[in-house]
Amino acid sequence: MKNINFFVAAIALAVTSCTIDKTDYEAEIRTEVIEHINFEEVVSISENDYQISIEALNGTFYKGYNEIRVNISNTQTNEDLSTSDVTFLPLVTNYNGNNSSCPHQYSLDYNTAENYYDGYVVFTNISNDSEQWKLYMSFTDNGETYAVTQNILVEEQVNKNLNMTTFTANDGEQYFIALVAPQQPKIAENELVAGIYKYNQPTNEPGTFPDPSQFSYTAVSDYTLLLDPRMPEPSMGNHSSPNNEDLTQQDDGLYYGVVNYTMTGNWTLNFRLQNQFGAIIKGTEVSTEFTPGVEGARSELHIDILF
Amino acid sequence: MRFNTLFIVLFVGLFSTAQNTKKKKDSIIALDEVQLITMIKKKIETDMKMAVSVDEFLASSDNISFIKRGAFAWEPLLNNMSSERSTITIDGMHVFGACTDKMDPITSYVESNNLDAIDIKSGQEGNMHGATVAGSIDLKRKSTPFNLPKKWNGAYQTGFEFNNKQFFNLANASYSSDKFVADGSLAYRKAENYSDGNDDEVAHSQFTKFNASLGLAYKTSDLSSVKVEAIYDEAKDVGYPALPMDLWLSRALITSATYKQLFEEGLVRAWDTKVYFNAIEHYMDDTTRPENLVHMDMPGWSTTYGLLSNINLQSNKLSSEIQLNAYNNLSTAEMRMYPQDRSERTMFAYSWPAVTTTFAGLSINNAWEISDQSLLNFGGSLGVNYNHSKYVEFNWIFHPGTPQEKTRLLPSLHAGYELNINKFDFSVGGGYGHRVPSVSEGYGYYIYNSFDRYDYIGNPDLKNEISYEGNASAGFTDNKLSIQAKVNYFYIQNYIIGRILSLGSPMNYQSVGVKGYTSLDYSTLFNFSLNGSYSILNNLHWKGTLTYARGQDDNGNNLPFIRPLSYQTALHYKYNRFNFQTSINGDLEQINYSPEYGEDQTPQYTMWNLSADYTFRIAAYRTVVQVGAENILNEYYSTYADWGNIPRMGRNIFTSLKFNF
Repeated sequence: MKNINFFVAAIALAVTSCTIDKTDYEAEIRTEVIEHINFEEVVSISENDYQISIEALNGTFYKGYNEIRVNISNTQTNEDLSTSDVTFLPLVTNYNGNNSSCPHQYSLDYNTAENYYDGYVVFTNISNDSEQWKLYMSFTDNGETYAVTQNILVEEQVNKNLNMTTFTANDGEQYFIALVAPQQPKIAENELVAGIYKYNQPTNEPGTFPDPSQFSYTAVSDYTLLLDPRMPEPSMGNHSSPNNEDLTQQDDGLYYGVVNYTMTGNWTLNFRLQNQFGAIIKGTEVSTEFTPGVEGARSELHIDILF
Repeated sequence: MRFNTLFIVLFVGLFSTAQNTKKKKDSIIALDEVQLITMIKKKIETDMKMAVSVDEFLASSDNISFIKRGAFAWEPLLNNMSSERSTITIDGMHVFGACTDKMDPITSYVESNNLDAIDIKSGQEGNMHGATVAGSIDLKRKSTPFNLPKKWNGAYQTGFEFNNKQFFNLANASYSSDKFVADGSLAYRKAENYSDGNDDEVAHSQFTKFNASLGLAYKTSDLSSVKVEAIYDEAKDVGYPALPMDLWLSRALITSATYKQLFEEGLVRAWDTKVYFNAIEHYMDDTTRPENLVHMDMPGWSTTYGLLSNINLQSNKLSSEIQLNAYNNLSTAEMRMYPQDRSERTMFAYSWPAVTTTFAGLSINNAWEISDQSLLNFGGSLGVNYNHSKYVEFNWIFHPGTPQEKTRLLPSLHAGYELNINKFDFSVGGGYGHRVPSVSEGYGYYIYNSFDRYDYIGNPDLKNEISYEGNASAGFTDNKLSIQAKVNYFYIQNYIIGRILSLGSPMNYQSVGVKGYTSLDYSTLFNFSLNGSYSILNNLHWKGTLTYARGQDDNGNNLPFIRPLSYQTALHYKYNRFNFQTSINGDLEQINYSPEYGEDQTPQYTMWNLSADYTFRIAAYRTVVQVGAENILNEYYSTYADWGNIPRMGRNIFTSLKFNF
């Protein structure tokens, strides 16, 4: 009987725990991909009796798409401006001293529900020794216009799900595609949101610096972004997912579609950009063949993501 | 697995109580196993071989065939239907394998020396433990009755099989008194790769298995007893030559506590109530397969707890069994693929996205002795099955918007009439029943099937499979000759099978495409068996079996894994304390194979086996020694159900020695 008792105890010890723990895949993605949901102040500018505060996610300007929220208050009256015309122009100066910009909303909208000025900016590169970003803003109050400038820092976006790409399409225009959502994808159907912008070639001679007509970008209308997501890893053999939907423009100007990620890891969003007339102006159709051991060939227009 | 701890504490606690109260002596009513309607009961050994694995034993039944992925853990097919169509239980307890590739059928978690019998019921007659289509396989554990004289019993069996250098040790012991019974068993098997009929070694066919079981029963009154039982099984380093992966470790803990009450008078004769818990973990391993392009971890877990309560009723001519079954199972399986550059992020997905199955059902089976010659069996069951997928977003990828939960009603009815006239017996019966899609069929996600080389996707919206069956048998028995023919026919509506999905591309690099589980309008299955035995002389007996099956889908195409015409013929000769057996068995050429479902034609094969045993005494212990050979002609063959046409074992000489104490 002693023996049996010992035997039971031995079994008890042997099986009281799982040999390998189960994976909490949602927690794993959370550590792999940081999602920012809070808007925090990036810069604060004082101008006469006004204080301008610009907020972005995580208090940082990142390369790629940034939603911005601007608050302007009169420090004398302690009142926030709500009827001002606010303009926003980011410029980067390169080592030659040339100025260029990036897709942005020049005239900010006032969000009456939340009491801030709303806009976006898609930074095309990060700040470094030879390229400095500067904001040129203006606002009006009581019939007066105030202009401010502010040096800013643009940092690398570590979340590849917010990557962007710049290209010149077959129509000769320069386009920008920036991912907006999901920040933190799931192994699921994900609503894929992107901004698609183009640079408007100036038609007039430059006026007084900074002349916004020289740095004009708009969100393109009625285009379609054809989507084919695939895993580039050679062993995945060009794996793709079903039930994806191409991105089309919605009322907020952004493009919405559906991407299904069947597992975590590296994915390539292969795109083809179709203009309002149905012509493909950038991107190549990728092979749908299953090719184990061979890295999947990407479209000439693509964005890599990782989660 | 945290439940384990709790359960073990409970278990040990019960055990100590049982031990302390083992002193009173009382009246002598033997509390034996009560089995009323159960018909099949066999010793766990085959005619050819006395030391068999559970699989080998099951294989000796007419209506069981096997899908084999190697030398270990064969998947039993009942009536030529895959294992999700039958309920496989251990003493009525539901246990679900934790491997998405069916590397661990329930039969792989028990050992022949902790089983007493295997109860196989065909079709809806097998609805006692839950909804089924094909029938039920209940593995009955050893259970020593209470005995007034205190008694120790034991057996030790050892042996060696030369082909795969399998060395096994099986020991079991029991102690019984009028108040207390203990049953215990230990088993250890270790085998290396086997060789096929061309004497080529089949790589990755080794296995190691350890199994231990313990049962303790205490008589709480003259007519009642409590019993706690546990099985622990561990398989390590098991090769699956037909699969791209092997097994690193699988462990099962199967526990139960039973309360039994007998009644001497009245309608109710016995009442058994059991609570149970089992946990299985299963970890695949591909590190021994350097040819694989991707290194992949595929762990799986399955935990089940349940309750069953069974009442036996007996009136004059009618005996009835009523059983309540309830269980809850959680099945989770993962895959994690490693990129070639290991510094890159791994690729993860659930192949079973944490699927809960909760079932509750009531089954009633009756046997009515109409006259001395005739008997009517009839019964039915009604069950409710609830499924919940924790990570339903996985299912949405292929089935957007499918509900996270699904509740299904599972009715079942059957009736059979038996008639005995002189030396002839006849039976005819019919049944109707539903079954729910399995976890893989409903919620599986990119489960790679190395047979047809497709990745399989479950469909939560599949309809219940509905079976209509008919069966009949006729037999003749006299002193010398016995002959019996059986047929059954299944018409199965919404037959679940994998069909190629045009959307989606494979995830596993060996795959050629993606298949989704879909329902065919219907399928039909026909099974026939003919058994005969004849006593040529007092000590010379002949036995023969012939089976035939045919399965077709709604387009008249063949279903996969249907056994071709197969035969077995055996002679047994007894001389003094010697027994000699020889048998020939085989399948004919597979004519009705199914290229649609990944099958190719399997040629015929014939096997010749021979064995001899001698019984003698060493001191007071009865000892049996056996020597034999399987596949004496060293034929190179694989059967219709050998996964990936892996060759079966070539000539195998086996020896075994058994002591009974």
